[in-house]
Amino acid sequence: MMRSVKVRRAIVALATLAVAYGIAAEIGRRTLPDRVWLGAHYVENVKLLPTWGALAEEGAFLIESRILPGSIAVSTTRVFLGLLLGSVAGILLGLLTGWAARIESLADPWVTFFQYTPALALLPLYVVWFGYGEASKILLIATNVAVITLLGAHQGVRGVPRVYLDAAASLGAGPWLRFRKIVLPAAFPAIFASVRIAAGLAWVTIVVAELIDARMPSLGYLLALSGAYPRIPTMLIGIATVGALVLVFDLLALLLHARATRWMGRAG
Amino acid sequence: MSRALSLAALIVAYALVARLVSRPDIVPPPAHVAEAFAALVARGYQPPASEEHQHHHHSSEQVDTLLQQGVTLQASLAVTTGRVLFGLAVGLPLGILVGLVMGFWRRADDYLHPVYVLLRSVPPLALITYIMLWLGHSEAHRLIPIVYAVAVTAVIPTYHGVRDIAGKYVVAARSLGAHGRLLLGKVVLPAASPAILGGLRYSVAIAWMTAVGAEMLMAENGMGNLLVGGGMWSSRLQTRSDPAVIIVGILALAAAGWAMDFAARTFAARLTRWAR
Repeated sequence: MMRSVKVRRAIVALATLAVAYGIAAEIGRRTLPDRVWLGAHYVENVKLLPTWGALAEEGAFLIESRILPGSIAVSTTRVFLGLLLGSVAGILLGLLTGWAARIESLADPWVTFFQYTPALALLPLYVVWFGYGEASKILLIATNVAVITLLGAHQGVRGVPRVYLDAAASLGAGPWLRFRKIVLPAAFPAIFASVRIAAGLAWVTIVVAELIDARMPSLGYLLALSGAYPRIPTMLIGIATVGALVLVFDLLALLLHARATRWMGRAG
Repeated sequence: MSRALSLAALIVAYALVARLVSRPDIVPPPAHVAEAFAALVARGYQPPASEEHQHHHHSSEQVDTLLQQGVTLQASLAVTTGRVLFGLAVGLPLGILVGLVMGFWRRADDYLHPVYVLLRSVPPLALITYIMLWLGHSEAHRLIPIVYAVAVTAVIPTYHGVRDIAGKYVVAARSLGAHGRLLLGKVVLPAASPAILGGLRYSVAIAWMTAVGAEMLMAENGMGNLLVGGGMWSSRLQTRSDPAVIIVGILALAAAGWAMDFAARTFAARLTRWAR
């Protein structure tokens, strides 16, 4: 009952947004200038607010020409690999630093350093180190992801109430059993939340990272190219595609989370 | 103490790696990094007439270009910090306001949340060119993505902070006759403020990330420009950069980010002293 009200309101809100955009585009078609001053030169024939029709036409073209599906496949693969690599490394390190205090003080300066470094700043360095190709893009995402998941796992382990561990130890549970049966499940929500944040940031990173050695099937370069011409329908479809992919990754993560924490037996 | 020790160990380890690799063009030894740092900082107040030591061993193309353009580390950092602060000053109130509205009124949440999820999903840096087409080549397309990123990030902790207030506080206040402004100002806002201020750190981090990214893509100044020479969007980073300069830039950014995070934490701790 409550749910259906929520869904109805969501549909109303999104439909209102779509209609409002359609009206704005229709008004804009008549009133907005189609000539835009770009600092150094004018750009002709610009439609700042393309109508839904123009967007649909452009979308059909981008899909038919295999530009969009190809770009999605390439960029998603990069993000996925970076996310996988980064979260495996980050979570393992975070569990380790959270569990073993001695390692923590050893790793602390590294973590602090990476934590405050905007990951994008590493891009030129990675180009020098790992070349223009695939490796520097994936590793940049992985670094970004690893830092966030490391902190998440670390804080997750540290947040486990001491009583749980003491109780288990007094019942005779060894360190490995305690780690597997108490620390891991208790730290899971924090780890998971960090992976979710990292997934969002991975998509921010790829938009910039794909401008090095920019080649065509890739969403980052598609955005840059459509901005250079400029071809606004393509640009908007590119932005919407990235947004949709972020959304899909987030939904997948939530689904995974719901499955993995079924044992908690939460209501609703 | 152990922190200082392991920091020293970190530097020594890096120096050893640099020596082992012995390719200063890829892994510059600490001395090169220090020289690049000195060159980038000194240009600011050193009179150009001082010709006594022109013999710095480490002089790369990138350092020379930057020096010719009159780029200094401190000026670049100041520009970026200014952009970050602007983003925080405008984005935080905006995001907190939206978070309050969505957290407090269930009805508004039902309508606004789907729209918010859509907006949140768009990476701010992807918007740069579109903003530029609307507003021209100006400061706007560097600042708006930062504001956008900060606002979108600030919504979440505020929303959850307001949502998680024990229902009995609100019920109790309501039964005593509080409503509207009184309820919001005396009960909801104070109760949610630890969560809101706790989320400040994420906003600060996102602001730095977006500012540097926007500057790397298109800006003639700031840290992003120092790192890649600006306008990556058009030039696509074809030039090979000097790792010493990049390391100096990254260290400066890490230091500035740490300082701002520290300030945010101190500020948050002061404001929520009553909570402990």
